[in-house]
Amino acid sequence: MAIEQFRIDDRLVHGQVVIGWGQPLGLTHLVIVDDAMVENAWEADLYRMATPPGMTLDVESVASFAAHPQPLDRHLGAGMVLTTNVDTMRRLVEAVPGIRTVTIGGLHHQPGRAPSLPYVFLSTEDIANLGALAASGVAVIAQDLPGSTPVPLGDLVAAGGV
Amino acid sequence: MTAPTLDAGPATLPFATRARMLLRLLTVQASYNYESMIGNGIAFAIEPALRRLPGGRGGEAYRAALARQSRYFNAHPYLTSIAVGALARAEADGVPPEQIERFRTACCGPLGASGDRLVWVSWLPCCALVALAAFGLGASPAIAVLTFLGLYNAGHLALRFWGLIAGWRAGLGVAAVIGLPLFRTWPDRIALASVGVAGFALPLVMARATGAAPVGVAVIAALALAGGVALHELHGRLAGWRAAMWLLGAFMLAGVLLG
Repeated sequence: MAIEQFRIDDRLVHGQVVIGWGQPLGLTHLVIVDDAMVENAWEADLYRMATPPGMTLDVESVASFAAHPQPLDRHLGAGMVLTTNVDTMRRLVEAVPGIRTVTIGGLHHQPGRAPSLPYVFLSTEDIANLGALAASGVAVIAQDLPGSTPVPLGDLVAAGGV
Repeated sequence: MTAPTLDAGPATLPFATRARMLLRLLTVQASYNYESMIGNGIAFAIEPALRRLPGGRGGEAYRAALARQSRYFNAHPYLTSIAVGALARAEADGVPPEQIERFRTACCGPLGASGDRLVWVSWLPCCALVALAAFGLGASPAIAVLTFLGLYNAGHLALRFWGLIAGWRAGLGVAAVIGLPLFRTWPDRIALASVGVAGFALPLVMARATGAAPVGVAVIAALALAGGVALHELHGRLAGWRAAMWLLGAFMLAGVLLG
């Protein structure tokens, strides 16, 4: 299975993912990488309820995903890997060689985060982690939907009011 | 962590508290904003239940929970009742704040997607088509409008009321509620019924609204049958509401052209 996108999105599985990206990319499989969710069966069950027919969902920890860099070979079609925050994606990139691009699909308001885009709010810690990703050679962009203009990390940080 | 089962635990929600929460759920979108979406509405709706936390209204637990529930939340507005019930139960059961915050986030996607399918794509167009059918069968325009408003509002009010109770009973196990046939299979059934209603109603509406000369019950019935069959065959390739809108547009164009 080809992984079409490594996406940071605090809502994880929702309409933008399963329809907005799912249809044009032909996504058949989603992987949530989240250490805490692996322990919470109810949480994974909830996200499975948001997954439409024809699309499957796995939940992995950073360690289990890294132990099997291509754990999804049994699936045909295209896939997307999702994390709920920047820190998890940074650890994933460090553990799994070969990730070239990370897309910020949605990081919404929380205490300590300031707006960079209507759908991207960043804290100083987020910016530091994204900077570390960029320094390691990963292209970081923000793009919520396929029709949106990708915004590079430099513009995101410049727009942020942290 | 294992989710609580349905009807688990001794926590109670008095009728008066439920009634307040239900009334407040009707305003859940009133404070909509791009930063927290309907987070403030969720907090407002859940607040009566938070008064029952240790320390009462204004206590530390109350204030912490209210602040937590005011944060970003986005889902279908009618199905927020399920989230409000479940979140109230989680707060009452003393679920750790971190788990509650994860639960809030996890609810957004499923409740948004399920609500879109059940309400916007199925129930709303079905009610509109039933109202059109009433008009086609001879009801006055006012009665047709009242038919739509009565049917649609009965559905969404029932959904909100039931959702609050179901969410409260399920707590963190709310995935079982979202997995009910109401959300998994009913949207398709309602959509299927909608295309049948569309096939029945639109020829009748066309005949009445255009003032065309009577073409006979048999011809109207044949048109209705053909329309129903055609729409049934298109099911799965063309959404019910979209088919209804296309046909309605064609009907209006024909009405204009035919004078």
